[in-house]
Amino acid sequence: MKKTVDVSIPLGPVHPCWKEPVRLKCETAGERVLRVEVELGYMKKGIERIMRGRPWQEVMFLAERVCGICSVIHNMVFIETMEEISDIAVPPRAAYLRVIVNELDRIASHILANFSYCYTIEHETLAMYLLNTREIVLDNLERITGSRVNTAYMIPGGVRFDLLPEDAVTVLADLDKVEEEMRRHTRIFETGPLIALRSKGIGVMDREEAIRSHTVGPTARASGVSDSDLRLRHPTYQALGFEQITRTEGDNFARIMVRFQEIFQSIDLIRKCVTTLPDGPIRGGGLCRAGEGSHSGEAPRGELTYTIKTDEYGRVLDIAIRTPSIMNIEACAHAMIADAASIADVTSTFISSDPCVACNER
Amino acid sequence: MSILQDIKNAVRSRSIHVAYVDVGSCNGCDIEVLACLAPRYDIEQYGIYVHNNPREADVLLVIGSVTPQWVDKLRDIWDKIPEPKVAVAIGNCPISGCVYARRGTLTTPPVENYIPIAASVPGCPPRPTEILSAILSVAPLIFKDYEEKQP
Repeated sequence: MKKTVDVSIPLGPVHPCWKEPVRLKCETAGERVLRVEVELGYMKKGIERIMRGRPWQEVMFLAERVCGICSVIHNMVFIETMEEISDIAVPPRAAYLRVIVNELDRIASHILANFSYCYTIEHETLAMYLLNTREIVLDNLERITGSRVNTAYMIPGGVRFDLLPEDAVTVLADLDKVEEEMRRHTRIFETGPLIALRSKGIGVMDREEAIRSHTVGPTARASGVSDSDLRLRHPTYQALGFEQITRTEGDNFARIMVRFQEIFQSIDLIRKCVTTLPDGPIRGGGLCRAGEGSHSGEAPRGELTYTIKTDEYGRVLDIAIRTPSIMNIEACAHAMIADAASIADVTSTFISSDPCVACNER
Repeated sequence: MSILQDIKNAVRSRSIHVAYVDVGSCNGCDIEVLACLAPRYDIEQYGIYVHNNPREADVLLVIGSVTPQWVDKLRDIWDKIPEPKVAVAIGNCPISGCVYARRGTLTTPPVENYIPIAASVPGCPPRPTEILSAILSVAPLIFKDYEEKQP
């Protein structure tokens, strides 16, 4: 086997900065990092193998356990693929409720990503502020769906629970609180001189490299890749007037700021959904039929695709999941970290691309 | 009861270092362990410090059903932790494998086959308060008068 990296400093799999096991093998010359290779495979559970031959009622719960951080979008994309295969229509109220829950999950995921980055650059104060704000978001997720993580909220043809009017008032009040706190945290991050020293101009990836590496999500948008947000193509988001956020710097600072800006955008989307929530049923019903289809959605980390083949009883015969982080991790290793000025920048740059190892390996 | 043991008991009751290792889960339990750090739950007011370093840990939180990569490595990590030590299983995965214990899986639960588990917190995922109370209730049982209990 060809040796690509002469490892002098291995990072991981158990490392104080990593949330999940992954190993980065760094080749260094002094403090300068020449090359980095990513070693994956510590979380391979074989979910797609388990899914094959099982009814969609079981696969639905397995799909959201591909990734715990972005479990709502895995649920949503799987259900939307099943609806596309079986021609099931969703009532407008259910479509809006899906957007509310999805955006709450996105806020929680983005706050966690920014928490990890602040924790990695040792700005623990801001990290703890962010984590405390995240609890308010998770409270609302629990209020609507009944669970903090792994909510299983969506089913073919609708959603499980309705949003009660008194809950809607609480959600709106909590969103005001979250927005006020996030404005403060964003100001701290944007104007902090020490944060700027650790973030601006570190781990730069230009637009051409981002397109060549097929990066997706906030990582691509921070490098100025336009039209890369799949919410632009989702009918409910189109009705809500969604616009993509793009920055051009392409460094660690831009990637974190894109997430901060998307949090405010998500808050506005939820507010718009709750105030203009249409009346009507939350479940349309429908039967899952035989067919084959592919559907993509915008996860907090980028494009997520499910390709499913079902039989006439709604059993999943074949399934392939394409998760966003794998491209971002690879681009991070060969474009952002390569020729980094110090080992300390390797961890912070890697975390800034928001790697989700459980998603990648399944 | 020696004076030295008294001092050790006093120190150990207010200084617990925690390491967590994910051996193949959906990372839903990881983020609930991280949520314990939040000022709302404030894990550090009990003297618990989450630092993901096995060499200086007292409590190992094991998350997930065991994937093939971790079969040998989990034992290595457990051996690196200095005595006295305790392992707590977080979530359903280390107990039974949860949704991954099905035909076609690559995982080999339970974790008890690889390292001794002192306590388990069931749930998919458990709430941060449950994780916190598990650490707080199991650690004193193991650490109190540890030297005197040794044969």
